[in-house]
Amino acid sequence: MVAILAALLSARPLHAQGNYEIQVYGAATVEPKSTMVELHSNFTPDGQKHQIDGVYPTNHQLHETLEITQGLTSWSEVGFYVFTSEQNGHGVQWVGDHIRPRVRVPDSWHWPVGVSLSTEVGYQRAVYSPDTWTWEIRPIVDNYQGRWYWAINPALERTWHGPDVKQGLGFAPGAKLSYDFNPQISGGIEYYADYGRLGSFDSLHDQQQQIFVVTDLNVSPKWEINIGVGIGPTAGTDHWIIKGILGRHFDWKKPSLVD
Amino acid sequence: MLKLSGMAVSSTVLGALAQPAAPADYSIDIAPYDLEVAPRRSIKTIAYNRQVPGPLLRFKEGRPVTIEVRNQTNNSEVVHCHGLFLPSEVDGAMEEGTPLIPAGGHARYTFTPSPSGFRWYHTHTFAGKDLHKGQYTGEHGFLFIEPRDHPGRYDQEIFLALHDWDGELASSGDGAMDPVYSVSTINGRILGFGEPLRVKSGERVLLHILNSSPSEVHWIAFSGHQFQVIALDGNPVPRPQAVSMLRLAPAERVTAIVEMNHPGAWVLGEVRKHIMAAGMGIAVEYAGSSGKPRWDQPENLLWDYLPFAAEGPAAAEQPGVVRIPLVFESKFAGHGAMDRWTINGKSYPDTVGPILTAGRRYRLLFINRSTNDHPVHFHRHTFELRRLPDHPEIQGILKDTILVDAGTRVEVEFTANDPGPTLFHCHQQNHMDTGFMMLFRYA
Repeated sequence: MVAILAALLSARPLHAQGNYEIQVYGAATVEPKSTMVELHSNFTPDGQKHQIDGVYPTNHQLHETLEITQGLTSWSEVGFYVFTSEQNGHGVQWVGDHIRPRVRVPDSWHWPVGVSLSTEVGYQRAVYSPDTWTWEIRPIVDNYQGRWYWAINPALERTWHGPDVKQGLGFAPGAKLSYDFNPQISGGIEYYADYGRLGSFDSLHDQQQQIFVVTDLNVSPKWEINIGVGIGPTAGTDHWIIKGILGRHFDWKKPSLVD
Repeated sequence: MLKLSGMAVSSTVLGALAQPAAPADYSIDIAPYDLEVAPRRSIKTIAYNRQVPGPLLRFKEGRPVTIEVRNQTNNSEVVHCHGLFLPSEVDGAMEEGTPLIPAGGHARYTFTPSPSGFRWYHTHTFAGKDLHKGQYTGEHGFLFIEPRDHPGRYDQEIFLALHDWDGELASSGDGAMDPVYSVSTINGRILGFGEPLRVKSGERVLLHILNSSPSEVHWIAFSGHQFQVIALDGNPVPRPQAVSMLRLAPAERVTAIVEMNHPGAWVLGEVRKHIMAAGMGIAVEYAGSSGKPRWDQPENLLWDYLPFAAEGPAAAEQPGVVRIPLVFESKFAGHGAMDRWTINGKSYPDTVGPILTAGRRYRLLFINRSTNDHPVHFHRHTFELRRLPDHPEIQGILKDTILVDAGTRVEVEFTANDPGPTLFHCHQQNHMDTGFMMLFRYA
């Protein structure tokens, strides 16, 4: 009982970026004059069951996140997020908003792997995350090799306002490995973690570690579909999460044969 | 002619120290070359005689010639004379039996050129994922076989080669990887770099345009002017037509007369904006005119083979013509790979080629069940277009390369009149490298 209580007290809510938008980024950016609209739906069947430091428990929370990404140039984009949460007893609540500019290495550089860099800043309400203002910088490297695809996102996070403001940079990597079964269906695993402060990682017990089994359905260039089930084996992690991403690409360019 | 050329032919691959017996009519050195496509922009490539395109080879029909080829690269090479009726051992495809020229070695090709018209020569080697080999290089040049009677009076003759450079594999709309290019040129230079084409008002200019691109179809317009198309793939068309735009698939050629009747400075170039922006254009200046050349951007892509076909209803398919269906399909190899290509369900070298009987007429049914267009090329023979998508039977257009659009069917006929192994393949380098080839044999 004491051990359980200690685990509950030490458990930290996931950063808003991670728990509301569970995605390993690829290096490609949205093309100019086009927009990607994505709905991230994440449900926690087995998560934190107790309110800690005024933060709502994550158990049975349904997070719906609207992400709108506008292509700026052939190598840059900017994304906006609206985070919401729905839970018995709390109803549908607005959680916060983020903005995420991103640049990538242009094709003309002929790098052997895709490389991009995003930075994300935003606010989330204290009842959902004790750190209300956060910043993240996320290098992204990815590559296709035949039927295999891999991506790594060794993200660094910084709290600007909240209890962790003096903790410095936190290390929160993500990674993905998937295999193309056919042109329409890919499957693989995604890994998400928060190791804690850079240079002084939390103990494994307190780290957030999640592994998702995912599938990507490439039914059309206009649509993006990602579905996954994740397990969090450490005490600092929600134990089960179901996630889904439904994206629709909108092209604002006037159709022309000669472009 | 065919028997004579067969007797006259010889191909010898020599070691680096061997000495040729007699001077050749032409010499081609294959060697690394820095191609300056634009100011302060060079592309490291391989070229013939350190120029792009290579030297113009001008032959007289029926008069034997000898070409000396020296390979100064680190890889084996072979030179294919495209569109000629050559014996397999000098046609320039190792699949047919032409010997490869080893690195540092040389070879002599002796043959009797035929048929007359605008042909070309190029490397016929494997590139795979290396987009700096094979047809991705500058190894291409014009080859013209003088006809006994020229198909039109002209004042000036100009050869133009369309090419794409600096390729890399990128995801394409069909989910597979395909080459994309950052530089596109005419005669090895981008628009605005190098000398313009200089013409005079009232001239009739004979343009020979070749698409030597490893994989891209190109649409060409000449602002202020029209093309009077007189030959396709070097073969005179039954009905020359004036058109505002040309479409050339890889390996296709168009010969056209342009009446220089609109003085000024103009651009001849790619209709699609992103390829024009990559450089595919050339300025044309009338005598006494200067300044920025004018480009009138077309808003549509216009091309049809049909108007060049013989007038009136075509003769029905003759009894005794043997039909050979060839079904083109792709096999998915991953979003990070190029598709594998199959003909009748198999990829080269496992493709099962037909056995031809000399003297017999054949109809090839190109059935493209893929989502890619394919410029298919038949070596050592000329075929006649007989049926295009959504058209009745036609006749009179003779070609060696035809673009079969995605999801369509094209029918051609040819007479088996040049015995020997004969290669059939898609002329997109990445397609032929991934299985899209078949070897026809004679009984």
